[in-house]
Amino acid sequence: MSMEEVILKVENVSKNFGATKALKDVSFTIRKGTIHSLLGRNGAGKSTVVNIIAGIYKQNSGMVTLEGQDITPYSVFERQNMGIKIVPQHASIVPALTVGENVFMGIWPKTKQGFVDWNRLFKEAQMELDKYGLHVDPKVRVGALNGVDQRKVNIIRAMHGGAKLIILDEPTTALSSVERQELFVFVNELKARGTSFIFISHYLQEVVELSDDVTVIRDGTSFAGAEAGEVLSEEKLANLIAGEEVELINRPKLKSNSEKRLLLECRHVTGRILKDVSVRLYEGEITGLVGFPGSGARELCRTLFGLEKITGGELQVYDNEKAVIRNPSDAMAYGITYVSYDRHKEGIVGLLSIRENISLPLLHSVLKNRFGFVDEGRSRQIAKDYFKDFFIKANSIEDKLSSLSGGNQQKVVVAKTVSIGPKLLMLDEPTIGIDIKSREEIINNINQIAKEHDTSVLYLTNDFDELLRTVDRILFFDSGRLVRDIRNHNLSHEDVLDIRDTVVK
Amino acid sequence: MSNELPGGVIVDNRIFFLKKKLMNNIVWILLVLAVLVVGSLEPSFFTWNIIGNVLSQATVLGILAFAQSFAIMLGLIDLSLLGIMSFSATVGLLLAERGAPVPFVILAIFLTGAAIGAMNGVLIAKLKAVALVETLAVKLTLLGAFLVITQGRAITNIPDTYKWFGQGRIAGIPTLPIALVLVFVFVYILWNKTPYGRSLYAVGGNEDAAYISGIKVDQIKIIAFSCSGLLAGVAGFFLSAYMGAVTSTFGTSYDMNNIAATVIGGVACSGGQGNVLGVLGGVLLLTVIQVGLQILGVSSYYVQMINGLIIFVAVLLDALRLRTQHT
Repeated sequence: MSMEEVILKVENVSKNFGATKALKDVSFTIRKGTIHSLLGRNGAGKSTVVNIIAGIYKQNSGMVTLEGQDITPYSVFERQNMGIKIVPQHASIVPALTVGENVFMGIWPKTKQGFVDWNRLFKEAQMELDKYGLHVDPKVRVGALNGVDQRKVNIIRAMHGGAKLIILDEPTTALSSVERQELFVFVNELKARGTSFIFISHYLQEVVELSDDVTVIRDGTSFAGAEAGEVLSEEKLANLIAGEEVELINRPKLKSNSEKRLLLECRHVTGRILKDVSVRLYEGEITGLVGFPGSGARELCRTLFGLEKITGGELQVYDNEKAVIRNPSDAMAYGITYVSYDRHKEGIVGLLSIRENISLPLLHSVLKNRFGFVDEGRSRQIAKDYFKDFFIKANSIEDKLSSLSGGNQQKVVVAKTVSIGPKLLMLDEPTIGIDIKSREEIINNINQIAKEHDTSVLYLTNDFDELLRTVDRILFFDSGRLVRDIRNHNLSHEDVLDIRDTVVK
Repeated sequence: MSNELPGGVIVDNRIFFLKKKLMNNIVWILLVLAVLVVGSLEPSFFTWNIIGNVLSQATVLGILAFAQSFAIMLGLIDLSLLGIMSFSATVGLLLAERGAPVPFVILAIFLTGAAIGAMNGVLIAKLKAVALVETLAVKLTLLGAFLVITQGRAITNIPDTYKWFGQGRIAGIPTLPIALVLVFVFVYILWNKTPYGRSLYAVGGNEDAAYISGIKVDQIKIIAFSCSGLLAGVAGFFLSAYMGAVTSTFGTSYDMNNIAATVIGGVACSGGQGNVLGVLGGVLLLTVIQVGLQILGVSSYYVQMINGLIIFVAVLLDALRLRTQHT
């Protein structure tokens, strides 16, 4: 097999969304039987590239060729039949159906009468599973499998459909390090049989480990991850992704919270996912949260904000021994606020302006004048202050949120959240999908708020370098329980990974 | 003109924004066109008599369209307006027949409307009933109740003071357009100047984000449907006063047109977007077309079909507006 055989070529592709230029002259080549990684911050244009390859978007100029053939005129469906398959981040399986049905989704074998031929389906599914080395029963529901096997089912479905190029979008999120290795072995075997992969991941280490080639997308432009003959290195890739040298904020850590005033105490709190969680949070302390999805890390934030019900235990906020929080407005009355991980769903109101978004939590309190009308002057003044303090890049405070870049939208969301002067500020993946400069500006602002107003901060992120630079203390969660509570003292990225993976039973 | 923001985002070109502005104000262009076309075919259109007629006919449709705007602003729909309007007017007039004083009758009509609207709101916000089906059920029930109560007969025994509100004049101006202006001002201030109005835009634009921002989303929805019901009651009052009767076909010509007027006026079906002035434009446009067809002598068979086409145009405009925003 020749390593020079080209499977897919992206040539000078550009794409505009309205007035926004998402991609400018992106070019790269994927060789047959290789793993080609696409890197870049969220919002840099990676997903736009993938969507153009898959046929979901049409490029404004440039060309994509599959084995030398221009595929621009073909639809998503036709491209799938030609061998371009996507395995999305959120596994596109139906958990309630069996492994066999998922493998043959949409192409179920039929009897002469047109009904599903169950015998043939399970027999053929068994053959497929054997062929690719996945040892599970095709009659088992997919929901009963573990994370890595679910992803494998997804990949096998793509292989069965005659895949030439499989796009793996963030396949390792929420996998433990053992499961990751297992997935890599599986992918490498398929690669050895001649299948090509586009691999998308945020973890540079695994990218270097797994990839034959790397393309970095930054601000909609493509860069080769390494020159011909050059060995891939994490440092070079990190610099390519970041683009400019941005000074990383590294705040001095609190050695202890014994000097600080107790702000909030959870006593044996039980709720959705949470089981018997007891923890104390102090003024001016930034506390990190680590745990897989469903471990309780995110649920702690959402429960304290009244988005999930507390079914057992007690909350104390300052002197209030039995605080009752049933919804966000209760939580805000106690000075507790929350920035959601899902900016689009739970953060911004895209149709409203920067000023209106920042005003939202204040409408029925600070901004209501004595005639019951909105105090427009005050609303403008507050928005202007945050516009300046948070370095929000826009023409004016009257710009609609939907016209801003992701990083600036997120700054508005954080500004809105701190506008009520919170006592406890909970940030759930506050820097996901935004550019590095905005990220550091936001971290700096949070740091200032904690320092100047003695605000307590809960900080949830899966970027452990960012976590270690920011927090004083780390809480580890597993299966709804708080399993470790340590100070951030001389910890490394690997330490955090190790603790997270060892506390998981 | 281009203006580069960090992160590779380029905010660009006047044509893009011009197109957007045009799409958002298209109702006024259509209104001017409609007036010119009707006026050139039938010059008598420009007499005070006809203009007064247009404004009077626009009043009931306008109040109903403002009522509908509350629901559509939330990305929902209120099909019960005709039912609420007929039922509350009937309740009021039955009280009047039994000798209740006129101010009491009017209050009863308004409260009946508001109460039914509040019930819609509670069912939709708290019990998460689907607005389309819930309001349809309420509409059918109320129209049925209206027929049961009246036994199909028209209520015509109405005090003159009551009729004055629909047929009288203040300083030479017919009462109906004055009512329309008053309701317009009320809704305009509520939407643009009060915390409630801004919350309504936020909930319509992104309910989850509004909730996370501490806005009491359920309360906003219940108040919206209560206002909607109240305004339906107001519309019922003015229509019954204008007609001097409640008949079995009471208000049916406004049934679906209020949705068309709202959407043509620029309130997005997906919610969170639109303004009160635009709705007024939509109401005037529809009324000019209706009155125009009447004075041009177009057969009533065509009118129904043209109404359908107008709703069709409204929904296409709504889709086009969304496209200009997202591409």
